[in-house]
Amino acid sequence: MPITILAPKPSRHINDPEQDVSSDSGSDADVDGDVPMTSLRPPKRARLTTTDMVTPGEVITDDPQWMRGHGTYVTPTITAIVSSVAGTVSRTNKLLSVRPLRARYTPEVGDLVVGRIVEVQAKRWRVDVGSTQLAGLPLSAINLPGGILRKRTETDELQIRTFFAEGDLLVAEVQQLFGDGGAVLHTRSLKYGKLRNGVFVAVSGVGGGGGVVRSRRQVWTMDAANGAGQIDVVLGVNGYVWISKHVETPEAEAGKAAGITNMEESVSTTMYSSQNDRIEVETMREIARLRGVVTALVENGLRVDEDMVVRGYHEAVEMAMVSTEGPDDIYLGGERGEQLAAALRGA
Amino acid sequence: MASSQHVLLSPAELAYLHASLSLTPPIRPDGRTPIQFRPLSAETGILPGTNGSARICFADGTEAIVGVKADVERTAQRPGEETVFLEGGAGDDEDDQEGETKEGVDKRKGDASWVEMTVEIPGLRDDDSGTAFLAAMLSEALLADGEFVKRLWINRRFHWKLYLDIILISPPLSYPLPLLSLTTHLALLSTRLPRLKSEGDEDPFFDDDWAAAPYLFPRPAHTTTTTTTTTTRPPITLLVMAVGNNIIFDPSKEELAVADVALAVSVAGSTAETGKGEAEEAGRRLRLLSVRTIDPPSRLTPPGIANAANTAYGASNGAVGTQKMLEARTAEAEAVEGVWRAPRGGAKRMVLGALVQKVLERGGVVDEVLDALEGVELG
Repeated sequence: MPITILAPKPSRHINDPEQDVSSDSGSDADVDGDVPMTSLRPPKRARLTTTDMVTPGEVITDDPQWMRGHGTYVTPTITAIVSSVAGTVSRTNKLLSVRPLRARYTPEVGDLVVGRIVEVQAKRWRVDVGSTQLAGLPLSAINLPGGILRKRTETDELQIRTFFAEGDLLVAEVQQLFGDGGAVLHTRSLKYGKLRNGVFVAVSGVGGGGGVVRSRRQVWTMDAANGAGQIDVVLGVNGYVWISKHVETPEAEAGKAAGITNMEESVSTTMYSSQNDRIEVETMREIARLRGVVTALVENGLRVDEDMVVRGYHEAVEMAMVSTEGPDDIYLGGERGEQLAAALRGA
Repeated sequence: MASSQHVLLSPAELAYLHASLSLTPPIRPDGRTPIQFRPLSAETGILPGTNGSARICFADGTEAIVGVKADVERTAQRPGEETVFLEGGAGDDEDDQEGETKEGVDKRKGDASWVEMTVEIPGLRDDDSGTAFLAAMLSEALLADGEFVKRLWINRRFHWKLYLDIILISPPLSYPLPLLSLTTHLALLSTRLPRLKSEGDEDPFFDDDWAAAPYLFPRPAHTTTTTTTTTTRPPITLLVMAVGNNIIFDPSKEELAVADVALAVSVAGSTAETGKGEAEEAGRRLRLLSVRTIDPPSRLTPPGIANAANTAYGASNGAVGTQKMLEARTAEAEAVEGVWRAPRGGAKRMVLGALVQKVLERGGVVDEVLDALEGVELG
């Protein structure tokens, strides 16, 4: 079956999915300035009630008793509260705020992020982390190769592209924030550095409880099914996800043996490599399955964290067992994804 | 050659994608089979002010809307052509309804200028080369065989002028050609033109009952007559790519980024149905309308650096660094496993042939796509 074409789903009420939305579609066709076409043909979609959803520039209230919160502003001339984002209005006592439907990542110090180099400057890189601004990664905030912790030299500045070039993916931590929301990253740890041996998937900008949420563990190694060995998953807080084959580097082993003090020395022999190791077919298949789980979670509005991904993965493996194509069937789009999400919600 | 947009991927990602797509069978990053399309949801008749409209969206939020509007326009008469005089013309003109070949002669004529197509993609200027190429490829498929514009013929003095407005609502998350083509196909399927009441070469006069308006592409009528009716369908343009010897349909952005060769293939299908209980022995006849190569972004990607040539790899110092630089220059020639190298040279002729053959396969992908599109309810 190469193609599936479905009829569009009726839109669901944002705040209250249980509420029956079909009841208000018959009569109030004029709500959004439509000509009453509904009498001629049945409405395809139930219309949202306009009470909760606001768009940028829409006046929420001009009653002075309310205080303005996030996602709103007050015009200087009239004292009405106006929405600055598209989203749902939430009221907390006398505070009015708007929760955006989709939002960009707001960096916070200590966040683990996955980013992509988009620009190389003289002494720093500019990294796309899915925020409103590009984050900066100064040359002084990476572990330079050559063993010992050393001062950066002019040679390093000239060779800046040998560490990270445009397009490279890296995992880093937010070290510092600027007043305007821009972030500065660092990769001064064994855990951070250039990414290879896997696939990238961006699930950023998802509102309404979906997407990656800050949690206890953002990085973990899990055992894959079907003899695929171990797989690393990195969930960047910014919604960028990296799924790769787990590689036990000899340096990490040595680092364990050598103790914490000279860990930095043995760090980065493979840190700036852009050559993939040999990856078995089984591993590639399970990596693709994990990627499918992550996209299925996002498409169905579920949160993405370690617990959900691991459970979803096991569920997906079992679904493949009973499917007609056998355990090699890794497709999790469309109806399969919904099935998976339903199983996860039920459990 | 049309070029698709540039994507920024790291050499390690490209190497991984290329390796997984080169396997037999290929493992696609989203787990689809090589001939599987992304699931999409479609509806028609969403714009009440148009003659026909359709909307298709992917699960990732990519969404396209197409509206078709029709205007009556006077056909430019060239001297020397069979000049029409109203008195003489009306008499010997037989009623020429949608039956294409009546008494063996098809008097209808068409002109490519009767169809005007505009493509709008957010973030791109409308005179951007990418947008212009998309519009050119889509209209080329429509106009290639000259059969489509004949449908717009009203009489010798007038014709319909069709305006197709194709709008991608979301930013282009992948090369939008197949999405726009499928949406255009659906919109044309749902297009209706008012029923003509006047006869011959008079000024056209139409029935104002919209319910009586016939479809531009009439649905197959399930009659019990023994006549053979041919129903043609608007063309579709599919994006097909090859990695190694694997042929992959409907590639996503990442997949296109490692393609050795990508083609836009336009195909039209017509079903010859013979009524009276006979099984549909003829089936659907597929005709190749056009083939265009798409310049895949893989050719512009930076190459990966093998560990052997990487100055930042391993515990190195300056001296070793320059040594490695020299080695790198010599090592550039041979490929190392796990290191990305952009494809060089043109497409292999065998691969191109296999791509086109795969598209035109009887009972293959195109058949299924056309069947699925026909299954969409016209509203």
